[in-house]
Amino acid sequence: MKRREFILLIGGGLAWPAIARAQGGTKLHRIFWVSTESEPDPFLDGFREGMRALGYVEGRNVTFETHYAPGNPQALRKIVSELQRADIDLVVSSGPATRAMTAVTDVPVLFALSGDPVALGVVKSLSHPGTNFTGSTFLSLELAGKRVELLKDIYPKLRKLAVFSNTDHPGEPLEWRATLESCRNLGIEATYVPFSGAREIENGLMAAGKVDAEALLVFPDAVTLVHRAKITELAIARRLPSMFGWSEYCDAGGLLSYGANQRTTYFRLATYSDRILRGEDPSDLPVMRPDKFELAVNLKTARLVGIDLDVSSILFRASKVIS
Amino acid sequence: MTDAAAQPSSCTMPPRRSLFCKYFATLFVAAVVPLILGAAVEASFGYRDQRRQISAVLQADARAASDRIEAFSEGIRDQLGWMVQLPWAAGGDAQHKIDALRLLQQVPAIVSVSLLDETGTERVFVSRLLLNRTGRGIDMSTDPAVVGARANKVWYGPVQYQRDSEPYMRIAVAGSLPEAGVAIAEVNLKLIWDVIAAIRIGETGYAIVVDNSGHLIAHPDISLVLRGRASSGSFGRIKHLVGAASGGAVITGDQGNPVVALSVRAADVGWTVIAMLPTSEAFASIRAALWRSSILIAFGVLIALALAYWRAHRMSGPIKQLEEGVERIRTGQFEHRIKIFSGDELQQLALRFNEMASELAISQQKSARIERLKQFLPSQVAELVEHSHELLEGQRREVAVIFGDLRGFTAFSTRNEPDVIMAVMREYYEAVGAVTTRHEATLIGFDGDGVMLLVNAPVACEQPATQAVRLAIDLQTTVQSLAGKWCDAGHAIGFGVGVAMGPATVGTVGYNGRLDYTAMGAVVNLASRLCNLAKDAQILADPTIAGRVRDSVPMASLGQRTIKGYDRALEVFAVAPADLPSKPPGSARRMREKEAQDH
Repeated sequence: MKRREFILLIGGGLAWPAIARAQGGTKLHRIFWVSTESEPDPFLDGFREGMRALGYVEGRNVTFETHYAPGNPQALRKIVSELQRADIDLVVSSGPATRAMTAVTDVPVLFALSGDPVALGVVKSLSHPGTNFTGSTFLSLELAGKRVELLKDIYPKLRKLAVFSNTDHPGEPLEWRATLESCRNLGIEATYVPFSGAREIENGLMAAGKVDAEALLVFPDAVTLVHRAKITELAIARRLPSMFGWSEYCDAGGLLSYGANQRTTYFRLATYSDRILRGEDPSDLPVMRPDKFELAVNLKTARLVGIDLDVSSILFRASKVIS
Repeated sequence: MTDAAAQPSSCTMPPRRSLFCKYFATLFVAAVVPLILGAAVEASFGYRDQRRQISAVLQADARAASDRIEAFSEGIRDQLGWMVQLPWAAGGDAQHKIDALRLLQQVPAIVSVSLLDETGTERVFVSRLLLNRTGRGIDMSTDPAVVGARANKVWYGPVQYQRDSEPYMRIAVAGSLPEAGVAIAEVNLKLIWDVIAAIRIGETGYAIVVDNSGHLIAHPDISLVLRGRASSGSFGRIKHLVGAASGGAVITGDQGNPVVALSVRAADVGWTVIAMLPTSEAFASIRAALWRSSILIAFGVLIALALAYWRAHRMSGPIKQLEEGVERIRTGQFEHRIKIFSGDELQQLALRFNEMASELAISQQKSARIERLKQFLPSQVAELVEHSHELLEGQRREVAVIFGDLRGFTAFSTRNEPDVIMAVMREYYEAVGAVTTRHEATLIGFDGDGVMLLVNAPVACEQPATQAVRLAIDLQTTVQSLAGKWCDAGHAIGFGVGVAMGPATVGTVGYNGRLDYTAMGAVVNLASRLCNLAKDAQILADPTIAGRVRDSVPMASLGQRTIKGYDRALEVFAVAPADLPSKPPGSARRMREKEAQDH
């Protein structure tokens, strides 16, 4: 046996009890949940589920304090001053709320963004955030074009497309631009049907129903997710093939969805939350990106809107088929 | 004496402590050292065996991981092979696109596929993120993927980090027919995380994958991979260290803890799988054994301490008793006895001590008796009473006998009060005793104003005659100086001395324990007669003495004298007047008056 190795062995042995003690602990962690969406919040539920899976019990070692400012990131800025006073361990900002959190410098902030956090300026690079921010980005912009292409694949005759979008969702203009770009490439005429927040969704739906279109593309966000049943109902009623961002929409009757698995994303966010609460530095935790995209197809809806799936390549590409 | 008293208390403590230390050292060596040696040997052998075993486990796990990675890359390669089986026909783009889409569905890790025709021009491009393209596209004939695939059929590109974060790699396969073109797949290497994360070595062990330059490709903690090239330094070091070792190497792992690591190369893609097991788990059994041994050793030390304390205490008790005993003996308490019943050498020592104490007591009693005897016996005789009885037994030997007698004492004693007489007598006796002691003669006894001394018995001396004469002179001188004092006080007292030498029987006589040492024989009578003949301040000697001392002391013959009890007249000698102090005239006159009364 080499002497150095033996010392390492002994040293490792001595360090071991200290490491074992450092784990765990029953401190009550306070997490601020800030969002520009509104309640009920499916993302918070996903995050809570992830935290539960990691052994956190609400009220015992973790508490969530939720702050909502639907469609108005500026309204969240006052939370920043509140953070300074309160003993907060972590801020989780869902979606565009991250914009309002840029002033936070002394509390770790976890984000779940559809856009680019480097462009937003909250992290220095994806691999090394170097700030108190880290989290997950969905790559929504890149997928926006892909969704149009998939709609075209399932319905090759597509010429006119209605795009239903919540303008309260920051970053929405970029998404719309990416969609428009893709439509132009594919020879599709896109009709923009905007609405502003949950209050206007009824009006928005009414407007969408009047648009002359052969298919409906809905941008994923919390409002459309919450009201997905109404949207898919409208699409089926008007026999419009519909395209969404997440598979939850397909479960509610949407024809197609293409995007990252929300559950996985928020579950991973919970993992980062756990690591930060255990003392890891967010500046060392690389920004996560989804590595799998789900293509969900609802066969029942396909039948209802009169889409013959046999002639398209969609069915074998689907990762989730709802019948 | 004060030093001697202080010393015992100051020097007793260190020896007792050192006794404890010695016992402890002995017991430690006897009990604990073998334990330590045993533990060390066991740990050393255990470590070697465990390391061999861990190496085997790591080897198997790393090999399994590398096999799965090869299966991953081979799977992609085979799937791409399907894409380039058939030559490009006119209008074949649609079919190729379907094939490519199915490939994406088949292999989740592939992000996009490009199918090129024989000229290296892109004909079909399908992607999970970007818009699909069909028809003649860009010319990629100089792309390293195309060049590599055409040269070797299969080409594995270097690992690239998209936006310096996500690891990607391109794999290109060329068809066996050049007309079939080339298929290039972009692979998201995050997907091999599943392969790596699934590998659990023991409880805490894991495997990682690095490329040739030490860039991290897969790690159970995906966030480390997403750090891109930034983390490559530490993994490059690990790869280098593990690669240099033949078996499992103990190194500092990527989390800063010591791990046993072993690497296996996945040959086709040129990556290295490193299987690691933290030493805390790998050598847990040895550590447990070491802990057990440590507890045993600690236990042994405690036992050694307890035993040493007990033994030292058992020893120190008797030693303390002995010390106290010595101290008491020193202060004269000879009746003190030590009680030790340990049944060992210490008890023996105590026994000896007690014997010594009783002997000391006897010896003390003896010397006390001598002291008492000296008050009544001549000191030489007193010594002899204790030490050599044979010298006191009756024997015949030549002795010098000295008689002294005060002149005018009768008249003095009748004229004076008893206390005055006693005072004179005390002075006289003290002076005689002092002279006797000075000359080591034997004082046989006082008889009123007379005194009898013996030289050469019971203790022999070299020149008894000379010594006797010197004693007589000294005696005469001393008493004469006293007599001068007495005369001044009005008491007319003189002193005469007779010395004779000859054979006599010396020994103890008496009855019922009251013994006297004395000499019997003619010489005693002769000396007594000579004393009677002597005038004040005169010393008369017989011819034997005179003959012996003629050379050293001047003697004057007084001619033949008739001595009572002797048939013939005997020549009498007087010690020459030069050796005697001159008599004051007054006293001589009074002496003559007194002599008339005495005789």
